[in-house]
Amino acid sequence: MAEITPEEITVTDFAVREHRSLWVDAWRRLISSNTARLGMFIVAFFLLSTTFAHFFWEYEPKKDLNYSLKLKPPTLIPNEEVPSVHPFGTDKLGRDIFRRVVHGGWNSLRVGIVAVSISLFFGGLTGLFTGFYENIDTTHIEKLFLFGLTGLVLGSLSAWIAAQPIQAIFFAILGVIAAYFKDFQKGKALRMVVFAIAGALIGAILGAFVSSAVALISLIWGAITGALLSRPLEGKFFSNVMMRLMDIILSFPGYLLAIAIVAFLGPGLEKGMIAIGVVGIPVYARLTRSAVLSVSQKEYILAAQSVGEGHGRIIFRHITPNILSPIIVQTTMGLAGAILSAAALGFLGLGAIPPEPEWGSMLGDSYRYLTSGAWWAVLFPGLAIMFSVLGFNLLGDGLRDALDPKLRT
Amino acid sequence: MTPLLEIKNLKTRFFTSEGVVKAVNNVSYSMESGEILGVVGESGCGKSVHALSIMQLVQDPPGKITNGEVWLDGKDLLTFSEKEMKKIRGSDVAMIFQDPMTSLNPVFTVGFQIVEALRLHNDMTKAEARERAGELLALVGIPGAEQRLDDYPHQFSGGMRQRAMIAMGLSCEPKLLIADEPTTALDVTIQAQIVDLVKKLQDDLGMAIMWITHDLGVIAEMADRINVMYAGAIIESGNVRNIYKKTRHPYTMGLLGSLPRLDEDPGAELLSVPGLPPDLLALPKGCAFAARCGYRTEKCLEEKPPLEEIDGREHAVACWHWEEIAGSK
Amino acid sequence: MSRYIIRRIFSVIPTLIGVTFVIFMFQRLIPGDPAVAMLGEHATEESVERLREQFGLNRPLFLDREALAEGDINGFFDSQYVRYMKRLLVLDMGESIHRRIPVLETLKIRFPATIELAFFAMFIAIIIGIPIGIISAANRNTPIDSISMVGSLVGVSMPIFWLGLMEIMLFAVMLQWLPAGGRISVGVEIESITNLYLVDSILTANWVGFKDASQHIILPAIALATIPMGIIARMTRSSMLDVLQEDYIRTAKAKGLGHSLVLFRHALKNASLPVVTIVGLQMGTLLAGAVLTETIFSWPGIGRWVYDGILGRDYPIVQGGTLVIAFVFIGVNFFVDIMYAFLDPRIRYN
Ligand SMILES: Nc1ncnc2c1ncn2[C@@H]1O[C@H](COP(=O)(O)OP(=O)(O)OP(=O)(O)O)[C@@H](O)[C@H]1O
Ligand SMILES: [Mg+2]
Repeated sequence: MAEITPEEITVTDFAVREHRSLWVDAWRRLISSNTARLGMFIVAFFLLSTTFAHFFWEYEPKKDLNYSLKLKPPTLIPNEEVPSVHPFGTDKLGRDIFRRVVHGGWNSLRVGIVAVSISLFFGGLTGLFTGFYENIDTTHIEKLFLFGLTGLVLGSLSAWIAAQPIQAIFFAILGVIAAYFKDFQKGKALRMVVFAIAGALIGAILGAFVSSAVALISLIWGAITGALLSRPLEGKFFSNVMMRLMDIILSFPGYLLAIAIVAFLGPGLEKGMIAIGVVGIPVYARLTRSAVLSVSQKEYILAAQSVGEGHGRIIFRHITPNILSPIIVQTTMGLAGAILSAAALGFLGLGAIPPEPEWGSMLGDSYRYLTSGAWWAVLFPGLAIMFSVLGFNLLGDGLRDALDPKLRT
Repeated sequence: MTPLLEIKNLKTRFFTSEGVVKAVNNVSYSMESGEILGVVGESGCGKSVHALSIMQLVQDPPGKITNGEVWLDGKDLLTFSEKEMKKIRGSDVAMIFQDPMTSLNPVFTVGFQIVEALRLHNDMTKAEARERAGELLALVGIPGAEQRLDDYPHQFSGGMRQRAMIAMGLSCEPKLLIADEPTTALDVTIQAQIVDLVKKLQDDLGMAIMWITHDLGVIAEMADRINVMYAGAIIESGNVRNIYKKTRHPYTMGLLGSLPRLDEDPGAELLSVPGLPPDLLALPKGCAFAARCGYRTEKCLEEKPPLEEIDGREHAVACWHWEEIAGSK
Repeated sequence: MSRYIIRRIFSVIPTLIGVTFVIFMFQRLIPGDPAVAMLGEHATEESVERLREQFGLNRPLFLDREALAEGDINGFFDSQYVRYMKRLLVLDMGESIHRRIPVLETLKIRFPATIELAFFAMFIAIIIGIPIGIISAANRNTPIDSISMVGSLVGVSMPIFWLGLMEIMLFAVMLQWLPAGGRISVGVEIESITNLYLVDSILTANWVGFKDASQHIILPAIALATIPMGIIARMTRSSMLDVLQEDYIRTAKAKGLGHSLVLFRHALKNASLPVVTIVGLQMGTLLAGAVLTETIFSWPGIGRWVYDGILGRDYPIVQGGTLVIAFVFIGVNFFVDIMYAFLDPRIRYN
């Protein structure tokens, strides 16, 4: 890539220039919208207050305990019964709820942010690649790689059955050969038979060293593998497989899946982050994929392709900047959703490990005292959840209006 | 005799965030019943908006008719309430649109959409309306009309959809049919068929037609009179002979000059006059065409020329230099 | 049309199989031995082993390589997964490890409770959300629009477990208008036909039961409906706004149709397509949210039951419950696809 062709400059320029003015425009629209400004204000308020509290207002949850102040209502003026100020009241262990709400924010927001980063990273990459290869033909090298990998994956079953890892390598080679001879078009049926026999032979011969039953099973599986490898598998096929996988994850109700993951990993804030993050992956994968699909037909992508730019370069230099707007919107709203899910997990007792403060688990700790009239222990953490989530949602909504190209006419 | 349609000083504005788009500026003209009026002009000159203003269908917000009168059959439509206007639309004045692909509702059958128009304005039972809809589809030349009533728009070809739109437009026998570039989205052979169809229907039914188009060839063949629009105003108007043979406005001349043999090439498009039309957000003080005009003088930049009648009632032009142009020919 | 349905059925099958597979995997991967969990930590090794034998927990997960090496092809396929699939096919979901009650029995009682709650909540969400969306779209950029959109965004941002608690505090504890939890009051009997109490009480003309069941369902249903309601309202609005820009709306107006006919006949049917999709997807949110609402309102549904099952390592419960929930979700979305074809002739005829 030493030389830069003139075409390439124009191509890059085109995409980048279009975007610079878009971002400026979008920013202007964003700050001119009342709701978006309100959203920004709320988000900034929560981020700043919790961060400052975390670093400058010391709090040691393990030592915070005072039974004499158990479940006292909000007190602004110290009196005989409650000798200290508690604007939000105290909880069942006599802890100041205001303090715990402020510190709990640090945990709640952190879970949200990390979880969304996980979903965004894995989902985004999946969507980016599947969307791209659904529209654009794989290059020869990519095809060799994909077929080799498919061979390796399919063949590993046969390898496992016969306890011969070497088989997997053979199947990978078979895949590469299948891709290499993709022009071997002497009738699709013939091609299929040839590769099925080749696969069957690999399985059977190697399996025969173990036992005849193993040889038989390996033969059948090898033939299936060979037949599959003989198919003209295109990017579209792989992208369909990935999307089906995403469908499957999406078929599970979010919370249940997250709960199951936490149950698997064990409770704790970090586990909650992972659980919520994993559950969110398909959303981002689908969104990115559809954004990529719509963008990859655009002139600048076709131009970049026609001047022979590498696929990786097209994906990261040209496509990524052009699909950012829907992803930014989704990420902002996703943060809202993740904070909600984190709170839900916390409420069910699967979030922060006590006595660590976290909004959801504060609710879970206190709601049993509601019937005895301790409304404050439930009201304030809940308001904190609602307003922070609302802030991100307002901001995301404003971003959508600001970035939506449909309104740009 | 009062004319069928008389428009006086019509002004339509779009109040957008970038400013006020002056889409229609002081348009006045009249149409007799049974007449075919052609409206031509470059894209964006306000042809559609002026037609929509007659129907009071300008998108509001941001659009508003800020001034003028629209007399139909001796009644000023602009004083009508929305309820009264509803009765006029589709029955006295019907309109068909440019893109038949998107102008029919995809989730209702073609028959339903015609029947709906029929039953809205006539006292008909469902069965009667359906029968009439079948007749209309047959009238506009759709084979197997009766059966096609139950088809959805996506099962029709583009030409058939435009025929269906025409059938819908004609369903209540309007006195005036406004056709806004009805053939632009169709390919050339279909265009010719639609034009023939409309001519034939006009002969049979005798309604007045306002035909908005870019296609000067077709309009020469079918129209009685032509309005040439520029930047939201009429700059030349007259009968077909005068417009084509005694052209007096430099813009019209430019349009016609770029037209190869008139009567032989019905598909010829308006080719643009060099330069760009003015920004409707900021119209110049003088003549809107001055910037692109070879006859431009100080006066053109300073004062807007009025639409004056020349040659009696058959020809009018808005140009300070029309006499000079007439002399030079 | 029937071809379309058949094609949809076929495309759902891989997802269904995938779901059963994931559920199977999850149970086996969750750490902790269910046999030990069942017998308690002090059980003898021998009894644990016997139990594992009894539940097939000592079989390999998928395929038995060792059996195959000895030439036993049947043994090769005799794995936990194959047994699990075989049992699923005859709807045998086993029995709860702790309580020894067949999962299917419990499902028959608990599943209708969740379904009743979820559908009732969806009903509320739709009948409130869609009109709000239409009104907002029809009054675009007016105060009405802003208020309803910010309002529905508040709905979307609602922690429903908290809302539920606030409802209990207000309506059950302070005002004492409605019961704080449960599905029905002690002493009120409803003859079980479908186990959907509202339906059953209507079928048996049991108005006392109907009133009592309604009073119990209203609070949890509202809590559960809040988020979908906001989402549906917003979706309806944006999709109506899209449709109102379309050429065919102008055609309809040019015909002389009045405002409300244009809005409700020509725009709404087109605008309903994305709304229907979102309703299907929200069904997932509802079923998931059931875990929370059921906890707060002591609603005897499957959400809470599965949650306890997960924590208690009660495989059969987790398996049965999750499977049913996932299948309902897939089923609803399958139904949505079919609805789509009814609403949009372009899909129907392709
Ligand atoms: N909804 C709207 N908002 C703002 N401006 C509009 C709107 N509709 C039309 N305009 C403006 O009004 C002017 C006239 O538009 P109109 O559609 O009448 O042009 P036209 O002569 O019909 O062009 P064409 O031949 O392309 O159909 C254009 O400059 C257009 O930008
Ligand atoms: Mg137009």
